[in-house]
Amino acid sequence: MEVTIIDYGVGNLFSIARGLERAGAEVRVVSDPRSLLDAGCIVFPGVGAFGAAMNALRPVLPDLKRYISKGTPALGICLGMQVMFERSEESPGEGLALFDGDVKKLKTGRIPEMGWNDVMHQGDALFDGIPETAQFYFANSYVCHPEGKVSVAMTEYGERFPSAIRKRNLCGVQFHPEKSGLAGLRLLRNFVKIAEGTA
Amino acid sequence: MPLTKRIIPCLDVKDGVTVKGVRFKDLQSVGDPSALAAEYQDQGADEIVFLDVNASVSGQKTLHAAVQKTAENLFIPLTVGGGIRSFEDVRKTLKAGADKTSINSAAVQDPSLLTRCSDAFGSQCVVIAIDAKRKGESWEVYTYSGTKATGLDTIEWSKEACERGAGEILLTSMDADGTKTGYDIELTRAVVDAVNVPVIASGGCGKIEDIVEVLTTGRADAALAASIFHYGEHTVADVKKILESKGVPIRKDVM
Repeated sequence: MEVTIIDYGVGNLFSIARGLERAGAEVRVVSDPRSLLDAGCIVFPGVGAFGAAMNALRPVLPDLKRYISKGTPALGICLGMQVMFERSEESPGEGLALFDGDVKKLKTGRIPEMGWNDVMHQGDALFDGIPETAQFYFANSYVCHPEGKVSVAMTEYGERFPSAIRKRNLCGVQFHPEKSGLAGLRLLRNFVKIAEGTA
Repeated sequence: MPLTKRIIPCLDVKDGVTVKGVRFKDLQSVGDPSALAAEYQDQGADEIVFLDVNASVSGQKTLHAAVQKTAENLFIPLTVGGGIRSFEDVRKTLKAGADKTSINSAAVQDPSLLTRCSDAFGSQCVVIAIDAKRKGESWEVYTYSGTKATGLDTIEWSKEACERGAGEILLTSMDADGTKTGYDIELTRAVVDAVNVPVIASGGCGKIEDIVEVLTTGRADAALAASIFHYGEHTVADVKKILESKGVPIRKDVM
C-alpha cells in the first residue's frame, strides 16, 4: 500500500514516514497538495498550526474533500486530526470538514499537554493488539469536539476528549503514534490494514 | 490519571559524536548518538535530548546528520539544542528529524524568535532552555553555556518566554550541575509554580532518589539526567521501578 504524507512545509516527517514503512507501507511525501488527488491513502501529519496547515491545503480544498469523501482512506495525526473538522479556535478559516464538529483549546492543566497519557479504547480495529488502556505521546493545546458517535478512544486531561476517532476508513488520533513506542507502531500497522481493507 | 512523569536521558554531542565517556555493556559504538538513543529507548526512556556542545557551523551539519540517523529508529520524542541561533536553524533541525528544539542564548538576545518559531512550527516544539544561577534570594539567567550573566531574573524570564510562545522549559541549575548532589528543588518549584507549561528539571542528578525528589517535591514534569545513565550505574527501567514504588505515575511499555 502506498501512503502519501502531505508536507505543510514545517516540522519533522521523518518518524511518521519511518513508522509507516515499518508498518509495511510505501511512503511518498509530497509538498504539492495537488499530488493528494490521486493518492491511494493519505496521512495528515501532526506538526504546525491549524491555519498554516489549512493554507497549505487550500488550493485544492473542495477537490480534496470530494476525493476523500469518495472513500480514500486517511489518517490525521494530532493537528492532522484537527484539520479534518469544520473549524478550530486556533485559527480562523475552514477545515476539511470530513468530520462534523470543531476544535477547542484545552481548558485546564499545563498547556500544551505534553507527555504520555492514557488512551482508553473500545476495541476498534485501529487498536488491535493494543491493551485497553495504553499510554501514547501527546503534544497538543487543542482537542476535537466531534458531533455524532465517531470516537473510538478517550483520554482525560482536565476534561474527557476523544483521542481517536474513526468513520469507516477515515481515522484521526490526537496523540503521536510515531512517537509512542511500540504501541504507536502497532497502531500505524493497524491503520495500514484498515486502509488496505484487510483489518 | 495525570500525564506520566518523563525520564529523559541527555546526550552531549560534539561534531556528531557523543562526548563524555558513555559506557554501556555490550554496545560497540559508544560514540554513536543514534545507537545510544536507541538503547535508551529500549530501556524505557520517555524522550531523548541531544545537546550540541560545540555548536560550530560545521558541527551543525554533522549534528543534523546524527539527528537524521537517530530519527530512523527512534519512536519517542527527540529534542535537539545547543547553538540554535535563528529561525532557519530551528527549521533545519526539525527537518533533520528533531521533534523539538531547545533555544537558549538566541532567545535572550531576541525573544521574538520564540514567537516566530511557535507560530510556524507550534509551541510544542519550542523549548526554552534556561541556565539559572542563584543570586541572593533569586536566580539569574546565564547564556553562552553559562559564561555570560544576563541580569535577567529566572522567574520573570520563564514567564516572558512562555508568553512569547515557548511550550516547555528546560531548566538547568548551574549551582547543582555537575555536583551529583541532587536537583535544585527550590528553583525547580519556583519556576513550576510561575508558569503553565511543562518544566524539565536538569542539573545535579547523582542518584535515583534525586529524580524522585525533583518529580515529587520539586513538582517537575520531567527529569533530565546524563551521567547516572551513561556510566551504566542505573538504567531508565531501574529509575521507573523506584518511581512506581513511590506512587509516581510513569509510562510502562505494555507491548
